[in-house]
Amino acid sequence: MKKRFGIVLAIIVALLLTVVPLGQNQSAQAADDSLEKIQKKGVLVMGTSPDYPPYEFQATVKGKSQVVGMDVEIGKKVAKDLGVKLKVKSMSFDSLLVALQTGKVDMIISGMNPTPARRKNVDFTHIYYQGGYSIVINKTDLAKYKNKDSFKGGTLGAQTGSTQYNAIKKQTVGTTSKGMTSQSDLILALQSHKLDGVAMEKPSAEAYVSNNKQLAAIPSNFDLSSDATSSAIAFRKGSTSLVNEVNKTVDSIKKQNLVKKQYLPAAGKYLKTNTVNTSMTHYWKAFLTGIEYTLIITICSVFFGFILGILLSLARMAKGNPFKTALRWLATAYVEFIRGTPMMVQVMFVYFGLGLFVNLPALTSGIIAISLNSGAYIAEYIRGGINSVNIGQTEAARSLGMSNGATMRYVVLPQALKNIWPSLGNEFITLIKDSSIVSIIGVTELIYQSNIVRSDTYRGVAPIVVIMVLYFIMTFTASRILNYFERRMQHD
Amino acid sequence: MTKPVIEVESLAKSFGDNHVLKDITEKVEPGQVIVVIGPSGGGKSTFLRCLNLLETPTSGKVAFEGQDLTSLDSKSVDSLREKMGMVFQSFNLFPNMTVLENIKLAPMKVKGVADAEATKTAHELLQRVGLEDHAEAFPASLSGGQAQRVAIARALAMNPEVMLFDEPTSALDPEMVGEVLNVMQELAQEGMTMVVVTHEMGFAKEVADRVWFMADGYIQENNTPDEFFNHPQTERAKDFLSKIIM
Ligand SMILES: Nc1ncnc2c1ncn2[C@@H]1O[C@H](COP(=O)(O)OP(=O)(O)OP(=O)(O)O)[C@@H](O)[C@H]1O
Ligand SMILES: [Mg+2]
Repeated sequence: MKKRFGIVLAIIVALLLTVVPLGQNQSAQAADDSLEKIQKKGVLVMGTSPDYPPYEFQATVKGKSQVVGMDVEIGKKVAKDLGVKLKVKSMSFDSLLVALQTGKVDMIISGMNPTPARRKNVDFTHIYYQGGYSIVINKTDLAKYKNKDSFKGGTLGAQTGSTQYNAIKKQTVGTTSKGMTSQSDLILALQSHKLDGVAMEKPSAEAYVSNNKQLAAIPSNFDLSSDATSSAIAFRKGSTSLVNEVNKTVDSIKKQNLVKKQYLPAAGKYLKTNTVNTSMTHYWKAFLTGIEYTLIITICSVFFGFILGILLSLARMAKGNPFKTALRWLATAYVEFIRGTPMMVQVMFVYFGLGLFVNLPALTSGIIAISLNSGAYIAEYIRGGINSVNIGQTEAARSLGMSNGATMRYVVLPQALKNIWPSLGNEFITLIKDSSIVSIIGVTELIYQSNIVRSDTYRGVAPIVVIMVLYFIMTFTASRILNYFERRMQHD
Repeated sequence: MTKPVIEVESLAKSFGDNHVLKDITEKVEPGQVIVVIGPSGGGKSTFLRCLNLLETPTSGKVAFEGQDLTSLDSKSVDSLREKMGMVFQSFNLFPNMTVLENIKLAPMKVKGVADAEATKTAHELLQRVGLEDHAEAFPASLSGGQAQRVAIARALAMNPEVMLFDEPTSALDPEMVGEVLNVMQELAQEGMTMVVVTHEMGFAKEVADRVWFMADGYIQENNTPDEFFNHPQTERAKDFLSKIIM
């Protein structure tokens, strides 16, 4: 089972829950109207991390990329039995629990196993699927490896922080464990012989093997509690009425053995269509969407960051009365704080943190976070640009009766901006690349899309090469355009 | 008797421990041309900048047409500065604007004058300083003398009551000094009230109504040019005059 839960995220959640103790948890405990609420809303939002076939993965259905897999089938059935519509929201596995706790999603179906640690924070339904672990190896090594104990002196890989990863660490002797974030990276490492085997969920292993003739699967023989190999649906803590209702559906799925009989075969069908055409040109639409979002995020963020940057730089130079001093102090603190924390954490903070108060879509959150970040940097460029304008310019303008504000606006800023145009251009180009960070909250920009294509096609390198070229084309074009304008501004 | 245009009372200005202006009390009457001379570092620029509050006095009063500037809020100071044009040693033209735009900017943004009217006035002023051909030029393409004449036109565009000049010819090549001084002399003849810091003794003798000799933070002498240059009263002034070649 996947059990990844980034430490950073854990800290953020802890922080949020202490800062905002009046979150969903308490109100839910006070009065359990969870079932009623969903039925009233008419929509059940399912959170999932679609990089884990056959549980959930992206497939191109009639030319449109969508999330499919056995978990989605289960989600559909749950929604149908509740009499509501299902909406699937995809994001990285790390983000799922926070998304549930902050109300971004109503439930998680993502091959999630109900560990005691997780049970403390969320409510789980009955188990809907009991799996096991396999080890995927290169077919040529089939004679060499029997089970987990055959890898002495070798290296076994698994998703970082997953239960498989912990099992390798605890239950093998003389075997090196290697963790990676994505399943497709692990397979790639296996094929390039950086790993000798990859431990994963049995159905996942079967999916990989059936789609790649160079791979084989062997039993793992890990000693597992049923907790570690089972999947259940997660709801917010205290949603007893909702969980009880959904348990009826889960029980009937198990009784009729629907997972094996219907859902896995259905998922397998998508897997088959996927492997038919794995050329990169087949996925041009996915890449195009990626480019589109990357550019939307970059352009919006530079625009808002620029406005914020001007305000911040002016605030940083304010002096005179106590109010202005406070303003300057605040702006300085803001700039220092933003520049002293990773953009990734800021993105997560805006998405999940602000998400407690207003429900912002991932794209909006991403743009807000990156604008806030880039504003701090642009503010420093602008401040430098303003300081580079000769003081005589200000004095001339003031002596003509122009106010402080008018002097800034008509005399100093235009000259400052001309001086910092190259820095602003660099910031724009940097953002084209750095905007990729919002992929962690599920914005379908270029990196996110390439990950989808990778897990979709089981091809590790080709999508990376494609987006490298695409990023280069974008940054190179942008720098040409910026140079052109820079030259045009040199009239005096 | 007419009211003085500028009245300075017990003006003092310090930068930290550096007491640049110590105690200055003087008046400028309408139409007067005052030339301020004195040794370098004596506080002449600081004094001039205190007159339009580019520099905030440490103590004392600076009154313009009877209004004490030091007691006004910043908005009122802004609007009084309109009436005091200033010309700097280093011109301080806006390099990103044409000559015409330099002159039009303040009338349009401060006084709200319409574009067409501001353009018309600007052309008239350029004609007056002999630069009507350079309306569309950028400052970087002008000679020093031309740039300073544009700066004078720019200050005049606000229709000021007083003009303050801080060593307007010190940064110029010698052959260009004359063209700027001529413009200033014409201005004086038209009745403009002027306070001029300069080392051009010829200009002081010919144009000034009064010469103020400034050293060590005080106005040491206030006299007619004739009296000052021929019969300096203080040792400080005698010493200063003996050192400059005339
Ligand atoms: N903004 C300032 N901060 C600190 N000290 C200053 C400042 N402006 C001027 N001073 C000091 O005040 C003193 C007088 O300077 P000021 O420029 O007024 O003299 P000046 O008579 O105009 O000299 P010059 O003939 O060289 O122009 C100098 O010692 C100078 O260093
Ligand atoms: Mg000076």
